[in-house]
Amino acid sequence: MATLVSSAGGLLAMLNESRPELKLYALSNLNKLVDGFWPEISTSVPIIESLYEDEEFGQHQRQLAALLVSKVFYYLGELNDSLSYALGAGSLFDVSEDSYYIHTLLAKAIDEYASLKSKAAESNADAANVDPRLEAIVERMLNKCILDGKYQQAMGIAIECRRLDKLEEAIIKSDNVQGTLSYCINVSHSYVNLREYRREVLRLLVRVYQKLPSPDYLSICQCLMFLDEPEGVASILEKLLRSENKDDELLAYQIAFDLVENEHQAFLLNVRNRLSAPKAQPSEPVQPESSEVAQNEGSAPGDVQMTDGSSTTNVTVLEDPSEVMYSERLTKIKGILSGETSIKLTLQFLYSHNKSDLLILKTIKQSVEMRNSVCHSATIYANAIMHAGTTVDTFLRENLDWLSRATNWAKFSATAGLGVIHRGHLQQGRSLMAPYLPQGGAGGGGSPYSEGGALYALGLIHANHGEGIKQFLRDSLRSTNVEVIQHGACLGLGLSALGTADEEIYDDIKSVLYTDSAVAGEAAGISMGLLMVGTASEKASEMLTYAHETQHEKIIRGLALGIALTVYGREEEADTLIEQMTRDQDPILRYGGMYALALAYSGTANNKAIRQLLHFAVSDVSDDVRRTAVLALGFVLYSEPEQTPRIVSLLSESYNPHVRYGAALAVGISCAGTGLSEAISLLEPLTSDVVDFVRQGALIAMAMVMVQISEASDSRVGAFRRQLEKIILDKHEDTMSKMGAILASGILDAGGRNVTIRLLSKTKHDKVTAVVGLAVFSQFWYWYPLIYFLSLAFSPTALIGLNNDLKVPKFEFLSHAKPSLFEYPKPTTVATTTSAVKLPTAVLSTSAKATKARAKKEAADQKANPEKSAETSGKGKSSSEKDGDSMQVDSSTEKKPEPEPSFEILTNPARVVPAQEEYIKFLEESRYVPVKLAPSGFVLLRDLRPTEPEVLSLTDTPSSTASPAGGSATGQPGSASAMAVDEEPQPPQPFEYTV
Amino acid sequence: MDAKLNELAKNFGRFKTAFIHNDFDTSANLLSDLKVMLTELSSLPPLYQDTPNAAKELEIARDIYEHAAILSVKIEDQDAFERDFFQLKHYYTDVRNRLPSSRHEYPILGLNLLRLLVQNRIAEFHTELELLSSTALEKPCIKHAVGLEQSLMEGAYNWVLHITLHARQTVPHESYVYFMDLLAKTVRDEIAGCSEKAYPYLSNKDAQRMLLFPYEHELLAYINEDHPEWEVKNGGVYFQEVEETVRCKEIPSLQLINQTLSYARELERIV
Repeated sequence: MATLVSSAGGLLAMLNESRPELKLYALSNLNKLVDGFWPEISTSVPIIESLYEDEEFGQHQRQLAALLVSKVFYYLGELNDSLSYALGAGSLFDVSEDSYYIHTLLAKAIDEYASLKSKAAESNADAANVDPRLEAIVERMLNKCILDGKYQQAMGIAIECRRLDKLEEAIIKSDNVQGTLSYCINVSHSYVNLREYRREVLRLLVRVYQKLPSPDYLSICQCLMFLDEPEGVASILEKLLRSENKDDELLAYQIAFDLVENEHQAFLLNVRNRLSAPKAQPSEPVQPESSEVAQNEGSAPGDVQMTDGSSTTNVTVLEDPSEVMYSERLTKIKGILSGETSIKLTLQFLYSHNKSDLLILKTIKQSVEMRNSVCHSATIYANAIMHAGTTVDTFLRENLDWLSRATNWAKFSATAGLGVIHRGHLQQGRSLMAPYLPQGGAGGGGSPYSEGGALYALGLIHANHGEGIKQFLRDSLRSTNVEVIQHGACLGLGLSALGTADEEIYDDIKSVLYTDSAVAGEAAGISMGLLMVGTASEKASEMLTYAHETQHEKIIRGLALGIALTVYGREEEADTLIEQMTRDQDPILRYGGMYALALAYSGTANNKAIRQLLHFAVSDVSDDVRRTAVLALGFVLYSEPEQTPRIVSLLSESYNPHVRYGAALAVGISCAGTGLSEAISLLEPLTSDVVDFVRQGALIAMAMVMVQISEASDSRVGAFRRQLEKIILDKHEDTMSKMGAILASGILDAGGRNVTIRLLSKTKHDKVTAVVGLAVFSQFWYWYPLIYFLSLAFSPTALIGLNNDLKVPKFEFLSHAKPSLFEYPKPTTVATTTSAVKLPTAVLSTSAKATKARAKKEAADQKANPEKSAETSGKGKSSSEKDGDSMQVDSSTEKKPEPEPSFEILTNPARVVPAQEEYIKFLEESRYVPVKLAPSGFVLLRDLRPTEPEVLSLTDTPSSTASPAGGSATGQPGSASAMAVDEEPQPPQPFEYTV
Repeated sequence: MDAKLNELAKNFGRFKTAFIHNDFDTSANLLSDLKVMLTELSSLPPLYQDTPNAAKELEIARDIYEHAAILSVKIEDQDAFERDFFQLKHYYTDVRNRLPSSRHEYPILGLNLLRLLVQNRIAEFHTELELLSSTALEKPCIKHAVGLEQSLMEGAYNWVLHITLHARQTVPHESYVYFMDLLAKTVRDEIAGCSEKAYPYLSNKDAQRMLLFPYEHELLAYINEDHPEWEVKNGGVYFQEVEETVRCKEIPSLQLINQTLSYARELERIV
């Protein structure tokens, strides 16, 4: 049996011996024993320290002493001392050793180094004051990580420590450079908090990317977009367009679509203008001009452009084939970059796939009291949101009588609602709105409310793509003195010129502001903000001054929001302004300060911003400010939706209803469209809160979270729909919550059930328009017409494949999940409420038998694949409900328990909801191969058999709304004939694929 | 037996001769060489590797350290004794059952206890005592030290001083004498400390009796050396007045008020 040492006393005593050999012996042995005997050694630390400081002692011995002391301090929990001695230990501190001591101290060292480096970077001082020994340790660690192949770790450390040289080294040395780079981009977006530094990292990445033999242009362009370097993007696009290779052309289009998705209008404009015109062609310089002109006229620019392009090719066909090809392609890419192509395709998709359920609206309409104007206009809002972008205005047309009850501002929003419904209808937007528009200053018979609403509607139609409509809106603004029309025109201008920082428009709006009319001034304030989104221009201080001068609360509020909008995404650059606003005497400006915090740090999950907001949420004296502070958390956190429910969970139990309301909306904003279980659990109790407006907020937030979540994936969606129906039908319910329920029904089925609320693009960039839209939307507390801004946050959930003519070919792909998980909700039936009551009693002997048989079968199923049992049982429940509905067709129920197929073939263009994206697979033997393996959005397809004739599946003029038969249940004949005008009653389809 | 052990044994022999002849310088030099040589043996603490010669090596190492401890007492070096004792202790504890017992063990343990007494490190004294087995406590060397400690604790300073000064022949081991001398001074320090607290002043005569000095000049020398702050005047010793520590501290009212106010404010803010 080995003898164990019982005490380190002997060795410690030996340290006092006079002979250095003995001291060394003691030190090295103590170093081995320190893990067990540190309590004993700790009393002798001064002796060991003195050995370390003893100049006569050899270098090695001194380092050994330092290491020993460092370890003792580590065990004592004095990490700072431990680290400083570990530095003294030099090379004896072995970074590759696998012990808690080393791990802890390394982490500590890296932290220390990182904080020193970032401090040095902030104060612009040299890194000279960093301990070289510390640097050496970190470098050793980095080198070791690189050697061991732990590149991600090395990159993380390098980024954290601001060692871009090491970062580059790690990326280049890694075995999968592409993968590492994309990882690095992700990291820099999610973990690098300082905007400036993030730019540096991205610049480095672009440099590395460009060095690669086969650069990933998609990623480079994303980086360049973040860096705001349109020249780089333009030159890449040009290079690709000039290439002989068809694939490069497709890639260029794909890049353009991806850029458009990020909605950075000013940047896209810059790229477009920098694309050089084809050389040596006399007619060419005119070409881009003409398209501009066409857009300015606002009538069918797409078509004009097309003909333009073809005419130029006809003229110049003899000159230089490559230039001809280039000019053709240039036309296309300009179309894409202007956003017109994608808007057109989206519009077609939303129109052809519209699945909105008019019966819901009808139920709402019937249950709402005539005299209650709030609910009346809420129904109009709900209709607009439900049909956003689908151009289906059937409901309005059928109920003109009912609609005419809207007066004054209700009329304004009813008219503006058309803008939401026709959103993106760039070609015909103006002609659609023509009957309502002001008649050339002549002051025709139209009410100013509908005229103002129409101008607002034009802005909504052209939101962020207002090239063609700006001039008209400006003229309308100038030629009127009516404040309602000014209100509409200001909002419209702000929307259409979003983020362009156009000086002339700004001046026009400013002159409206200075008339000091409350109604017009409020819109002017918001509009100025919209115009200047993210520019951090000095205009903000001008606006702030005016906000202090004016007496009107409305104007102050509008300006406060406007100022907040100007600092969108500027992060720490905005700190001075935020400080100024949050310390203001006026609660409305502090309220604006909350928005400024929310928008400046939107999607960054920045800890400082969160801390500040939480502080205001609990300490401000004004309820408005507190509510907004909580709500603002939703904006800061939308990039990490999982965090929000946890952070606001306490606030959602606050005694203060305003704070509860804010918490509900914060969850709604940040978790929008995710269907996150925690978010739903948090909101559920709030939907039956004692205070009416909290219920309103919670219902709206819940609808935002549950957009496009099917009942099969979360049963609470169904429960929520029933709850909404109950609230709407309940005569005794408060108006506020009733309004919330009506709006929630609209949001839940937004855009014909084909859109979701998305604040991040697929490449994790913020979508400016969407964030701004939601920010202004959350103002509906004060001003209902602003509800329409929600439509800016809608993004279609579709996969649209395009060939190189930017047409939609017939193309099939696979969704490797049960169809029921992602199908459209079943259309409601007239009898839903009664049948739900009948269900338990009506058990016929036949259906009982059938149930038994099904249960048996299901049990067998569950045994066969237990992991899917949950889904199967959910399915079983829903189908049994169906039994109750249609008991007379017993034969069909017999068929139902067939096992559901585990996949589904989708046809281009198809609805792909966000949760479904991970299941999307492209078929291998397909004719088309996607350029980029993206599960949704616009995907360019490479044609492997270009000689065969192509079948296009989405034509420019969809003939009828008859939708392709999806996996969803059939529309009930009764509802279909009554509601959908141009939808043929479809025969009951076979419910499942029979094997 | 390998060469190292031989070498060691040879050197140890030379050391012993020097030691017996009371040639302290030579033996000290030889001893430190020996200690260095010992570090090369891996069977010794703290490594305890199981080498073939482990038992022999351990035994000779113990012997060396025992001699070292006794030597340090002889040259009246307390620190050296402490060092040597700690190194020696491993042999009495860790490898106790692997070696035949040593005749020096109990005297040296007793010496160590005495040393702790002399240095007035009573806590450590008891720690050491707890570690001893019941048989060890029976040994005269240990009993002696324990007895002294008890008397000290009782305050029977007279008795202790009597033993240390007058009953030298009763010591169980010749090397104890050195520590007994030192102990007398420790006891006097204790008495001086108590007197300081107990009396504002003492006449020279009383002080002399109290501190058990046979002659007055010894008392004065002691005061000069150890308590220069005492004043000797008018045939008496005046102690420095110990500053009365403030009994009850002021109530931290301001702080409490602030705290309460901040609680109230926080309560307001609770969300």
